[in-house]
Amino acid sequence: MPQMGVSVAEGTITAWRKRPGDWVERDEVIVEISTDKVETEVPSPAAGRVAELVVEEGATVDVGTLLATIDTGSKPGQPHADESDPPPPAEEAEANGNGKAPPVSPVVRRIADEHSVELSAVSGTGRRGRVTKKDLLAFLEQGAAKPAERPLHIESPYKEEPAPQPATPAEAAPTGEGERLSVMRRQIGEHMVRSLHEAAHCTTIVEADMTAIEAARGRLSYLPLVARATIAALREHPRLNATLEGDRLTVHDEVHLGIAVSLGEEGLIVPVVRNAHELSHEGLGARIKDLAARARSKQLSPDEVGGATFTITNPGRYGALLATPIINQPQVAILDLEAVVKRPVVVTDGQGGDSIAIRPMTYFCMSWDHRALDGVGAAEFLGSVKRHVEGWSD
Amino acid sequence: MPEITYLEAISDGLREEMRRDESVFCMGEDIGEFGGAFKVTDGFFEEFGADRVWDTPLAENAIVGAAVGAAVEGLRPVCEMQFADFIACGFDQLVNVAGKMYYRQGLAVPMVVRLPSGGGFSGGPFHSQNPEAWFLQSPGLKVVAPSTAEDAKGLLASAIRDPNPVLYLEHKNLYRRVKGDVPEGRYETPMGELRVAREGTDLTVVSYGAMVHTALEATEDIDGASIEVLDLRTLCPLDRDGILESVRKTSKVVVLHEATRSCGVGAEVSSLIAEEAFEDLDGPVVRVTAPDVPIPFSPPLERAVLPQVDDVRKACHDLLAY
Repeated sequence: MPQMGVSVAEGTITAWRKRPGDWVERDEVIVEISTDKVETEVPSPAAGRVAELVVEEGATVDVGTLLATIDTGSKPGQPHADESDPPPPAEEAEANGNGKAPPVSPVVRRIADEHSVELSAVSGTGRRGRVTKKDLLAFLEQGAAKPAERPLHIESPYKEEPAPQPATPAEAAPTGEGERLSVMRRQIGEHMVRSLHEAAHCTTIVEADMTAIEAARGRLSYLPLVARATIAALREHPRLNATLEGDRLTVHDEVHLGIAVSLGEEGLIVPVVRNAHELSHEGLGARIKDLAARARSKQLSPDEVGGATFTITNPGRYGALLATPIINQPQVAILDLEAVVKRPVVVTDGQGGDSIAIRPMTYFCMSWDHRALDGVGAAEFLGSVKRHVEGWSD
Repeated sequence: MPEITYLEAISDGLREEMRRDESVFCMGEDIGEFGGAFKVTDGFFEEFGADRVWDTPLAENAIVGAAVGAAVEGLRPVCEMQFADFIACGFDQLVNVAGKMYYRQGLAVPMVVRLPSGGGFSGGPFHSQNPEAWFLQSPGLKVVAPSTAEDAKGLLASAIRDPNPVLYLEHKNLYRRVKGDVPEGRYETPMGELRVAREGTDLTVVSYGAMVHTALEATEDIDGASIEVLDLRTLCPLDRDGILESVRKTSKVVVLHEATRSCGVGAEVSSLIAEEAFEDLDGPVVRVTAPDVPIPFSPPLERAVLPQVDDVRKACHDLLAY
């Protein structure tokens, strides 16, 4: 099963175009494959006679699985090899297409790691299709470097807090000439457009009174306390703590909480607090602070930026009231925290008497995927967040 | 700058040093009135006299041993082996005495042994060898192997002025074949610094001596690839930084030498690269050398044994495609 994109892990055989014994030319279509991203025709990696179809039509297998073998030793028009003749090994076919990739040299491995390049995306011109240093440098030159496993998403264009080391300012482009987007910006763009294209985005908003949080937070920001309340709500509504891939919805037992961290003009990144449900709000605060600092100094490991089950984005300090964030795929929802502002609101006392009071208020805006849930589920979840926030007690 | 041969450059360098410093003198078989087997010292007897241009018996052990004594006493002897192969007879004096004198007694041994080496002219097993690796395993000796006329003169001057025993490998096949512009007067080519014979970015050929010319010819045009050729010039001390710098640039290396394969300069350079530049490699380090056999008399057999232009071209071509 060939690698058809960085994030594609498996594919389904839709139809075989060739049968065992058929002759196939190199680059002639041999099989149709569908993945969660594309439907595609796959060309044969070598010319030869189809010896065996290993995977049946309709079956879904992982990338790298052997699909078929091609006997490259026979000639067109020649009868099939006798059973008594051991079939010559289909070396080229295995090396180029179905089998494992040829070994990678130390320098290619190092450069790929340094630039987070997924080597399967680079076409190799070396022996047996090996990716050479030249191939990799040419690939990087084209600006096609793709940071592997970096779930990125967009939020409102605000910084959460000033970065300790400001990003190097981009070189001023001469007037009239455009400036090519950075790799990270292009990556974010690709990710966002894909999410908008795939998910049925819908945004639900609730208003919450932050008085209890304000009293409890001390020197902490709102974020860890709201995160804690969100986690409590996710435990009550686990369908929001989920990922949707193709038509497969996975509801997760653990909460791995993605926190969007702005890197200034460079872009943003979403490090993940693993097993966030096990942490107190103080613990969450410490972890978020650590991840944000390391995100800005580019010291996150790949494991720390993938696998979130729910994401919070928090540009609230810049005063905006509402936003409609884009879901961080393949999750099903993203919660946006905007500014907390004092407003006159109607409050009801224990005896049912109404009065007008000045309260710190905020809006929780959540974009969710209508493929995975409906408006009622989203509203119930947000109601739960609101209840935990307004009834906060240590 | 006059264009002179590699051989004339050696003579020139030796003559200039003898004119500069009275303590420099030559000794060897038939180097006096006859001017040496290859005529390196032609005319020296007339210019410097019998006291400074000694004809010796056919006894390499005596030549080297006498030179060690003279060097310890403050002279700067330059010994000629008629063929590098014969140094085997002077091995003990060189390796055990000259090479360890400074370590044991703290005495400098400023002597040079000239080794006319290499094959390519049907000299057979006793007149064609490249014995440099023997001495690379013997601490206390320096080894140089120039490939150009300019370096032949400059490295001989450096070798004579160096306080250590230096083996000076002069390739017989270059004597009259290679010419170059050589500065008049005195100059030194620093020891321990390689020369980039041609700059390139796609592959490095590391070589020295006569094989530098083979490398340059073989890699002139291999599918338009940009091939760097390094001329080591000094084999001990080896210019490790210079080699590694090139490897970090090209990531692919062919090591080429005329000497036999096992435990040779190629093995040393390869392991240096494996140890220090592993993460910069984009393919195996490849050696092109003579196999571990004596050099045959027969011209076609000798050609089969010694690395040829086509062998180098094929090795580079294969490694480029790796």
